[in-house]
Amino acid sequence: MKKALYNAPYFMKEAGRVLWQNRLSGIFSFLSTGLILFILAVIVTCWSVGNLLIKTMQDEAEISAYLDQDIGEEQVSGLVETIKGIEGVQDVKLVDREEAYGRMKEILGEEAGVLGLFEENPFEAFIEVRISLGELGKIAERVEGLKGISHVRDNREVLERVQSITIGLKRFGYLIIAAVGISTLVIVSHMIRQGIYNNRVQIGTLRLLGAPESFIGFPFVLAGLLLTLAGGLLASFVIVFLINRAYSAMSGSLPFIPLPAKSQLVTGLVLFVSSVSILLGVLGSLFGMRSTK
Amino acid sequence: MIEAKGVSLRYPDGTLALKGIDLEIGTGELVYITGPSGSGKTSLLKLLMGVEYPTSGSLKVMGQPIAKGQEGNIRRLRKRIGPVFQEFRLIQGRTALENVMMGMRFLGLPYRQAKENAQSALARLGLEHKALSMVENLSWGEAQRIAIARAVARKPRLIMADEPTGNLDHDNALIILDLLTSFRDTNITVIITTHATHLIGRQEHATFIRMDGGSISVERRGKAYEKSLV
Repeated sequence: MKKALYNAPYFMKEAGRVLWQNRLSGIFSFLSTGLILFILAVIVTCWSVGNLLIKTMQDEAEISAYLDQDIGEEQVSGLVETIKGIEGVQDVKLVDREEAYGRMKEILGEEAGVLGLFEENPFEAFIEVRISLGELGKIAERVEGLKGISHVRDNREVLERVQSITIGLKRFGYLIIAAVGISTLVIVSHMIRQGIYNNRVQIGTLRLLGAPESFIGFPFVLAGLLLTLAGGLLASFVIVFLINRAYSAMSGSLPFIPLPAKSQLVTGLVLFVSSVSILLGVLGSLFGMRSTK
Repeated sequence: MIEAKGVSLRYPDGTLALKGIDLEIGTGELVYITGPSGSGKTSLLKLLMGVEYPTSGSLKVMGQPIAKGQEGNIRRLRKRIGPVFQEFRLIQGRTALENVMMGMRFLGLPYRQAKENAQSALARLGLEHKALSMVENLSWGEAQRIAIARAVARKPRLIMADEPTGNLDHDNALIILDLLTSFRDTNITVIITTHATHLIGRQEHATFIRMDGGSISVERRGKAYEKSLV
């Protein structure tokens, strides 16, 4: 450890020299690594948002039971109590016409003016039933069968669609991760092989002087690490910029899509991309060094 | 210091470079290995540095067997040797001081001590004023002295120089040989390969190993032999 610290400035200088010797291919490697890691960051962001969306929808699993036209107030109260008694039901609430109108107004936000086109409140009262997700089908069937209920609406279809998109995205993500890994390893190992070839006389001399392989190889590992870390930082910078833009755009027009806390998402992403870039840099360099032996 | 018994070296292409060599070199001995090109001088030196391994016989350098399977120990052995090469093998783009220090970076010496060793080696070779010069700007004579400084700054017990005067003019060659032979006074064993026999003929206390077709004949002059068997 002491030896490594004593040699740290030397290793840094040598790594800089390796990168400088191959500066043109270094720049291309940096840009392509940055692009590859950026694609990875986009996939991870989509995973993160998709997972939160599913979780939110699962937490908010509910059915809306719409009432018959000619039903009286007393009958409605009876229905609410009956539904409360069904197993798996967590909460039951009667949403009257005014509240239904108010909710839609809130969802539409700036576009709420469109509701003014109606002469009367177009929304019907309904019973909102919060349930455990696993019981959704059974409860929906029982509620629909109750006297005074005209029809039931649930978010099962939407939930299933989001779930299938997320599964697809996850599979695609695994492919991307494999592609990111392989391409970065190839790029970095090629760069390191080139560096080793350019410094073969120096390496031969150090070996004759008795330098251990770790001493000879460390600057090359460091060069690979710096290259991918720089690519990772570039990717992080771009994705953070785009997340900031997306959050300000979506918070106004698409308020019903749940988004993870921005600071948490950004910190997690930067840490993830940096760690992956460091890992790939070290592995790529070791792979490049091994292939020259 | 060095013990060879029946050492032969055959290269993969079938060339027999060394034939059953028996040799003993002691501490503080000055040894010249001479002979025409292709006589096996460099092959012998490669064996002594552990770059090649004997195909038969046994060889020990400072007690370390030179054989396949001993790579890690041979690497450590090289830390105690000061090698000097015909083509200098200085690392371009670095100063003379950086080159001399390069040979000590992995020896575990504190930075200050390594720097002091490097500076005093440069001073001994009369190159302290060139410490911060880039090696590509030095003359060949100066470059070879830097290479010697790199070898001796490590405080080795054994210096091995392969044709150290091969690329130098007559005057510089004499300076380099004088420098190398002077290290014997500090009880360092010095082995020099050279085909420039006219430059070494004046040596009175030295061992001469003459190589011819892979065989050797040893002549010890003056106090060389007595001094060597310490």
